[in-house]
Amino acid sequence: MNELARFLPTFLEGFNLSLPQNLVPVVAMFLCGSIVAAAMGLSAAVLVWAERKLAGHFQCRLGPVYVGGKFGWLQSIADGIKLFLKEDIIPTDADRPLFRLAPYLAVIGVLAAFVAFPISEHLLVADLNIGIFFILAVLTVEVFGVILAGWASNNKWSLLGAMRAAAQMVSSEIPMGLAILLPVMTAESLSLKTIVADQSGGILKWYVFQPPFFMAVAFLIFFVAGLASLKRSPFDLPEAESELTAGFHTEYSGMRFSFFFMAEYAGMLLVSGLAALLYLGGWHGILPGQSGVEWFLLKTSFLLFVMIWIRWTLPRLRIDQVVYVGWKVMTPFALVCVLGQAAAVHFRGG
Amino acid sequence: MSPVKTYFSDVFMGLWTAMVGMSITLKYLFSKPVTEMYPDVKPKTPTRYRGLHVFEEEKCIGCYVCAKACPVDCIEIGVVRKGKEIKITKFDIDYQKCMFCDLCCEPCPAHCIHMGPEFERASFTRSGTILQFATPKELSEDEKKIEKVARK
Repeated sequence: MNELARFLPTFLEGFNLSLPQNLVPVVAMFLCGSIVAAAMGLSAAVLVWAERKLAGHFQCRLGPVYVGGKFGWLQSIADGIKLFLKEDIIPTDADRPLFRLAPYLAVIGVLAAFVAFPISEHLLVADLNIGIFFILAVLTVEVFGVILAGWASNNKWSLLGAMRAAAQMVSSEIPMGLAILLPVMTAESLSLKTIVADQSGGILKWYVFQPPFFMAVAFLIFFVAGLASLKRSPFDLPEAESELTAGFHTEYSGMRFSFFFMAEYAGMLLVSGLAALLYLGGWHGILPGQSGVEWFLLKTSFLLFVMIWIRWTLPRLRIDQVVYVGWKVMTPFALVCVLGQAAAVHFRGG
Repeated sequence: MSPVKTYFSDVFMGLWTAMVGMSITLKYLFSKPVTEMYPDVKPKTPTRYRGLHVFEEEKCIGCYVCAKACPVDCIEIGVVRKGKEIKITKFDIDYQKCMFCDLCCEPCPAHCIHMGPEFERASFTRSGTILQFATPKELSEDEKKIEKVARK
């Protein structure tokens, strides 16, 4: 009963709602989706606030201070209400159906990925036996949303941004996939729960600290490639403000814009969470025997902090530099790591 | 350097310089913010700050020296002199003109006009920018006759 997707149908049946028998799974799925969407939206709101606050302090400013009394902790809610009330503009020359479809695709990709995303041993929606593969597969849907948005806007800047997003995605997703191969090979499973279970028993059992340290390099590659696939600074070329106004979402306003925004921040959460699950022992603590949601949240929030930290440190790269880093640096390094780890797993007694 | 060496040193330097940069920004993260919460917390002005004037009416002898020294003629003074008794009926400074040069304060023989620390007197009307420093007084008929109002 530790998986939401299994627990909810039995929970609903316990209520005697007199639903037709074949409707119960549908209602349960709907509830699951709502819970995931609410959690995603809420965490994105908290992240936006944290980003603004940290950005302020990185620049010796204060960030938001007024909204919600202290520390501006209601800033994201106020922003959300503002975006909600904004006029929804669709340019006359835009491709209307595609223009409308794009933001939903961007959000749905991330939302679907969260379904297979375990937060702790007992807190997850569904433990898919191909978990990490599923997440990688549906995450790419987000890039379709970005490319569609750039194309449908009928705007040169948007199109340039979308093309950059496509080039960047292709060059970052391959090292990312290769880096994920290492934990998968070591745990001999694609299920995230099994991968984390294999890292139990203290900090030295985490995959980053496993000799011969191919996994540490893979962790770095995964994190950098994750930044690139999220379009986060220093890889924020698809929306480079100084060159492309806002890139692929130049023409978007109001709620449609906030969908892109939410997808980006939820994606940050997803990549940091995945890095924590795959390499940093997930919900296992520093000492053997320690485990719980708090450890997972601690690791994820540290990685999120690093993402924000990098954003306010490094300037934007050029597109040829991004593609160079993807193809000529991260991919060969990832390949060497995969081969090395494969040999290590083989000689370990496989 | 051989291309292979260049490649590896580039990769290493990329990571290393990123880390150096991040250590610098981390220092700034924990440094004190320079933000001034202005309307909520008033800033402390320096001791010799040239803000709005402070006028000590009881010391003023109505000699017009300050008005004469003013390069933009923004001080207007009204005086009633009866023997040794001096009544300041008017001491207006037009802050549309005033350039806060401090030249009015230096020649004052009675040391009655100073530059103060205040600066918040923005106004939506032109008349609101002319500040009256003298306390309003009731004048008798013959006092009105000998009142002298001048700018210079």
